[in-house]
Amino acid sequence: MFFYYLDLAWRSIKKTPLLSLLMVLAISVGISITITTLNVYQLMSVNPAGERSDKLIAVQLWSQGKDVWKEFNAQVTYQDAFNLRKSDLPLRQTAMFVTGLAVQTEDADFSPVLEIVRVTDSDFFGMFAVPFLYGGAWDKRVDSQAAYQVVINQEINKQLFSGEDSVGKTLFLDSKPYQVVGVIKTWNPSPKYFDVTTGAFKDSAQLFIPFSLAPIEEFQSWGNNQGWRRESIDTYSDRLNSEMHWLQYWVEVSDDKQRDEYAQWLAGYVEQQQLLGRFDSPEAAAQLSNVAQWLDLNQVVPEDNKILVGLSALFLLVCLVNMLGLLLAKFLQRAAEVGVRRAIGASRKQIFAQHMVEVGLIGFCGGVLGLIWAWMSLSMLSARFDLEESLTHLDPSMWIIAPAIAICAALLAGIYPAWRICSTNPSVHLKSQ
Amino acid sequence: MLSMKSISKVFKTDLIETHALRDFNLEVSEGEFVAVTGPSGSGKTTFLNIAGLLEGFTHGDYFLDGVNISNLSDNKSAAIRNQKIGFIFQGFNLIPDLNLAENIEVPLRYRGFNAKERQRRVQHALEQVGLAARMKHLPSQLSGGQQQRVAIARALAGEPRFLLADEPTGNLDSMMARQVMELLEDINKAGTTIIMVTHDPELARRAQRNIQIVDGQVCDFTMYQGEGYQGGGHQGGAGSEKPHRVAGSPSGTDKSRYDSKQTQRVAS
Repeated sequence: MFFYYLDLAWRSIKKTPLLSLLMVLAISVGISITITTLNVYQLMSVNPAGERSDKLIAVQLWSQGKDVWKEFNAQVTYQDAFNLRKSDLPLRQTAMFVTGLAVQTEDADFSPVLEIVRVTDSDFFGMFAVPFLYGGAWDKRVDSQAAYQVVINQEINKQLFSGEDSVGKTLFLDSKPYQVVGVIKTWNPSPKYFDVTTGAFKDSAQLFIPFSLAPIEEFQSWGNNQGWRRESIDTYSDRLNSEMHWLQYWVEVSDDKQRDEYAQWLAGYVEQQQLLGRFDSPEAAAQLSNVAQWLDLNQVVPEDNKILVGLSALFLLVCLVNMLGLLLAKFLQRAAEVGVRRAIGASRKQIFAQHMVEVGLIGFCGGVLGLIWAWMSLSMLSARFDLEESLTHLDPSMWIIAPAIAICAALLAGIYPAWRICSTNPSVHLKSQ
Repeated sequence: MLSMKSISKVFKTDLIETHALRDFNLEVSEGEFVAVTGPSGSGKTTFLNIAGLLEGFTHGDYFLDGVNISNLSDNKSAAIRNQKIGFIFQGFNLIPDLNLAENIEVPLRYRGFNAKERQRRVQHALEQVGLAARMKHLPSQLSGGQQQRVAIARALAGEPRFLLADEPTGNLDSMMARQVMELLEDINKAGTTIIMVTHDPELARRAQRNIQIVDGQVCDFTMYQGEGYQGGGHQGGAGSEKPHRVAGSPSGTDKSRYDSKQTQRVAS
């Protein structure tokens, strides 16, 4: 009977095109607003670490003095990063920051381009499951014995080496030759959870070089640099020995036990630093957060966004109330036909089902139209306000979610009109038709 | 076949109480062709609606084909309407957006027949009413008489045992009305019980039995057994029935017409 009802629904829509169009428009507007906000919310709140979320741990240290910051800073100082790297408890660990370097090739005709470069350790690639196209990360020994090696992404590889396997080839960063050891596939986790300080929804870096090169090449941080006390920083060495927070620090643990052991080790580290005259605040401590906790802690999804989703749901409700009125008018026009159907053997349930299928079809059409509008509005938002593409592309799941919400919402709005029409006394309308 | 005992139907509003039917008693045997007449507002349509399970009743007992109709669920009522009862209305009540075949297959859909069976029945029903060649036409493309024949075909497609016709010729000219009436007689000959509400005494006389309803009660009935009557799947019973109730002299009628032995069918 479902297909019969579907056929009747389609005929009914064609019979009252204006009324049907109004209903489809009403629901599509509600859906497009809801889907737009929901899409942004979903893209912002996704945990890109997936199953590894509990194993990847962000490290924070309350190293600041008394009466300054009232919370853990998202980054750590160089001297702390330097010390933390000495621990062999975590499976893997990395300190990192971003800088900007001019990229050149041996080709004299190639104009240098300024690119964002992530300065990190070799463990970075394994920890964050970075997929390689060619080669791999630099050797772990490079983390302690600096070498001029670089991992580039697919796009840069295409730009510099026409997409060929460039492992072993040389490129120049700020005029220094670096040997390509790996080419990664397109990789752009959103949100960029391993470094939310430079914009959780900004694109990931195009190139990666060893952290051990930082003191040698004196790379400037292109990320946030936060100090809590007045310090005279004249040289790079001053920066490395300062209390400025400018590095992200992540470790990978195998399980909760190892995480607890590492937490204990950090507690010991804090005590040791206190003996050395640092960490003089009573709140001094270490804090570990897995990826989900980290995203929550850094409010990657702002509270405003949740309110916006709620408001858009309310708007959808208003659209549905409009739709309810239109449905009531449409269905009650059909009372005579329903009377005939009831007389010749349709039960109330069958009449109800027939009308609910029609409502569902209208909802589906509204959902698809709403989705197209949502896609257009996201594109417009992206173009008008120069928003990150990672936030304004329509998530594929929305092609299922939007029609599903639209159908459910329409069915909800259709219950009362369908109930009214199936409850009418058929005999009243049989004479009048 | 149909048995109503002390049926009453009361419509209540805040101010008034209207007795559409009161102490209504009727027995209809299988294969009978019964005409129901009476002045406007007498309760004919209410009776037909109750008989067709389109309305409930306030008091009394109603048995249809041995089934007690009181307190049936909506699903069961719908199933009985679908399987045992065929409706023919004065206004034809065809669904304007559906072509003839689709109109006729509506009750068959609700009955759950497969496409092949539906097609067979639709074809057969349309052949019975002589419109098989026009099955793809919309109702609006047909004359009133043709539309009524389609409505009859729709009622017949489910092979009901019981046909309820509410002034089936009320919207037709005399020639069309005659054709429709002949069709109903043929259907009755084939064994289908028919109850027909009509204002037309000529048509009423063509039935086997005429029941007159006045003020919600069976006021009188007349047996027609004249040689002019060509229908009648039912051969026994009707002639031996006695009037349920005669409210004095049959008012406003020619008494001779109510004498079953004297009454002749008037050729239309």
